[in-house]
Amino acid sequence: MDETRATHRGFGRVLVVIYALFAIAATARSVVQLSTKFSEAPVAYLLSALAAVIYIVATVALARGDRSSRRVAMAAISFELAGVLIVGTLSLALPDEFPHASVWSSFGSGYGYIPLVLPAVGLWWLRRTRPQHTSE
Amino acid sequence: MTGPFADLLIAAGVLVGLWSLVQLIVNRPLGRTLRLGVWCLEALIAVFLIGGIAQMMTTDQDFAKLEFVGYLLGMLAIPLGALWWTRTDGTRAGTAIIMVIGLVTSILVLRVQQVWAGPHG
Repeated sequence: MDETRATHRGFGRVLVVIYALFAIAATARSVVQLSTKFSEAPVAYLLSALAAVIYIVATVALARGDRSSRRVAMAAISFELAGVLIVGTLSLALPDEFPHASVWSSFGSGYGYIPLVLPAVGLWWLRRTRPQHTSE
Repeated sequence: MTGPFADLLIAAGVLVGLWSLVQLIVNRPLGRTLRLGVWCLEALIAVFLIGGIAQMMTTDQDFAKLEFVGYLLGMLAIPLGALWWTRTDGTRAGTAIIMVIGLVTSILVLRVQQVWAGPHG
């Protein structure tokens, strides 16, 4: 593939690091939550674990940067965007159902709203680095 | 965990971040001096980790000890991971990565202090 358009080149290298930081943060958070207080808020803590998995998958896929990894990254980041929008909306509309915060609660306000911005930037980057098809 | 060493580490992280930002603005790729700066930051984090665990073992304070140690280990691992990821990187992206790492280190010191203060802090 054209290496200059790979997802792990240029700005993509920074994006991979930011996704990796969120993967570490979300994984550590969910491990602590699931191992010490799962029964207090199982839905919120399972959502944290799901977010952690999504961040890990997106990090690896963006870092690999090959054609099949692009599809995986697209799916993971699209899911991430849907997750932060749905969970963010529900956590504000039905606060009693989300007494304990997850990464995506209140659109990621606990993380400076980066969880809301990150998937938009990720999708933009995937589109920008999309391989060009030349017509014969 | 709120003493002058924590303040020094916060300042060091901000300094690495700002230094990287200046390098980005003047269009400089990641060089040896900035890498050396990250290694200095890493050395300060190692001292912070050892000091933090030593204080944790001698205090009766009520706080989330597992989370506390997790944050300290994460702080130590993140700059190392960044140095590895940028090991062959001679571009501005490498400089931007170091900028992120410097700022994240400072934020994590603040988070460690929150955890240390505990639920009643």
